[in-house]
Amino acid sequence: MTTLLKIENLSATVGGKKVLNGVSLEVNAGEVHAIMGPNGSGKSTLSYILAGRPGYEITGGSVQFEGRDLTALAPEERARAGLFLGFQYPVEIPGVNNVYLLKAAVNARRKELGQPEVDAYEFLQLVRAKMKLMQMDESFLSRGVNEGFSGGEKKRNEILQMLVIEPTLAVLDETDSGLDIDALKVVARGVNSLRSAERGVLLITHYQRLLDHVVPDQVHVLVRGRIAKSGDKSLALELEKRGYDWVLEVA
Amino acid sequence: MSIALPTNRDENWRYANLRALGRARVDAAPPAVTQTAAALPAELPGFERWVFVDGRCIAPAPAARSSAGFARLLDAREAGEAFAAQLDSDLASAGVDFALARVNAARGDEVLHIALPDDSSTQCELVFVASAAAANGTSYPRVQLVAGRNTRLQVVERHLTASGDSDAVVNAAVDVALRSGAVVDHVRVQHCADKSAVFDTLVAHVGERAQYRLHTVTLGGATSRSTLFIKLAGRDARCELSAASIANGIQTHDVFAEIEHLAAGTVTRELFRGIANDRGKLAFNGKMIVRDTAHDADSDQSLKSLLTGSGAEAAARPQLEIHTDRVRAKHGATIGKLDEQMMFYLLSRGIERVDAQALLQWAFIEDAISRIEPPALRREIESQVLGRLHAVSALTGLLGEAS
Repeated sequence: MTTLLKIENLSATVGGKKVLNGVSLEVNAGEVHAIMGPNGSGKSTLSYILAGRPGYEITGGSVQFEGRDLTALAPEERARAGLFLGFQYPVEIPGVNNVYLLKAAVNARRKELGQPEVDAYEFLQLVRAKMKLMQMDESFLSRGVNEGFSGGEKKRNEILQMLVIEPTLAVLDETDSGLDIDALKVVARGVNSLRSAERGVLLITHYQRLLDHVVPDQVHVLVRGRIAKSGDKSLALELEKRGYDWVLEVA
Repeated sequence: MSIALPTNRDENWRYANLRALGRARVDAAPPAVTQTAAALPAELPGFERWVFVDGRCIAPAPAARSSAGFARLLDAREAGEAFAAQLDSDLASAGVDFALARVNAARGDEVLHIALPDDSSTQCELVFVASAAAANGTSYPRVQLVAGRNTRLQVVERHLTASGDSDAVVNAAVDVALRSGAVVDHVRVQHCADKSAVFDTLVAHVGERAQYRLHTVTLGGATSRSTLFIKLAGRDARCELSAASIANGIQTHDVFAEIEHLAAGTVTRELFRGIANDRGKLAFNGKMIVRDTAHDADSDQSLKSLLTGSGAEAAARPQLEIHTDRVRAKHGATIGKLDEQMMFYLLSRGIERVDAQALLQWAFIEDAISRIEPPALRREIESQVLGRLHAVSALTGLLGEAS
């Protein structure tokens, strides 16, 4: 089994404050891992560090992505290598067209893989099909990136981008937050459609309910910047019943 | 000649780069030429084209001019009389702000006069090529636009240089008059060589229910200075001014725009989007005056500059002078750098850093050019704008998708 992501004893600070405190985690191809944890436990920090957001300083440990030192790569190189971050709060970029961004992202990835640029017509057909899956309106095509989108539309757009880019590893940061149950199912369907033997998914979530629809292979609980407990999907259900205090006591 | 030229000590000229005025022969017109080496832009379909080199008309040929619609060439003396007869006499105000326009009137010898009779419409494209070196004199393009009652005029005014390394000096003057109900779309594109110096003075007089929509796109010139005076003189007159500017290298682009609300219900929408790269400098000084006769006036100013170079500078100065209580006036001015969050979002999608920067610059300035008509002109301007942003090649395909 191929190891996609290998995090060993990772520590990090932001603005001098310790936010990760020795995280270790391995995601293999074909697996979906969920990272749960109370607010402020370092979940989003972990996703930003993986994607290479400026302002986070790694103070110890290592992160390997398909055998490469991920931390040595710039954010855009990580994306082209096959890492995708679904943002918790996707930014609006008026003036940059949605389709243009999708196409630029796909071509950046294809260039990395030594493939020719996408055919404009076929690409549009592909985007339309994925939009249908995500129940998104056609008018989306001509709009600016996330411009005037509702919270739910922004989250769907993140998943749409993921489906079109087809990353090797998708890190989804609280993609379920702020979604009603119907939208949650749509997002889950999108994530499930990407699952394959070659890909991995890291789902960062505060609640168990997404995991009813995207069933994880492993669940980890992040507490005070380290993984306090790991288990199978039943761990998520137990957390739902007993709350995070239970893990805090154990930790 | 004893017209005192502006200096940086004058109130409305602090940010202008006026060195060219000292270097060039500002009181002499260069010798006449009959053709141009410049590659002219493709003709806009349906537009009547006039081409000038160093302020003198080279096309259409003299024989073809009589049949050329509402436009005709006047000498400076005739032009002065014809125009003054139709406008408030105070348009040609005294003061240093009009000094360059007065030099133009005194030294230019050909004036393009376009007068639309009531209820007519036309489309004109004016191409001004500067070809003489600064040492040989200054170009004096001069245009008068008179839009009669309920007319519709689309005018495209282009300024370019005959060669890419030209140090030409241009001193243009444009007078615009809109009678009641006239609608004028005026697009000005300054795409001169980076070593040239381009000065212009525009005075517009907007009558009752008339609409003056002015788009300016400033890309070229070591120095570029636009002085705009727009008077909303008739009830419910409206002005929409959209200005886009990109200053690369050591370019300095400076705009002074005074819009005066004189009558009730007059409306202004003013938008400036400027990008200063490298050590470029930008200044936009937008002065809005609302007189006590202009109750229920409505003015909106949005001035934004983006600094991307380490040595870049920008000054945005919204000024409001209001003499009545019944007015709605909104203004905002920002000077900033590229948004870090937007930047990271694009990077996280695999976009190269230089491309992401260009993309965000494009998104920033697009506001000020997206409404330019006709579409053929807008596309041409868009590709010129992209050419001015770094890493243009990476943005191939952007226009097809964006428009």
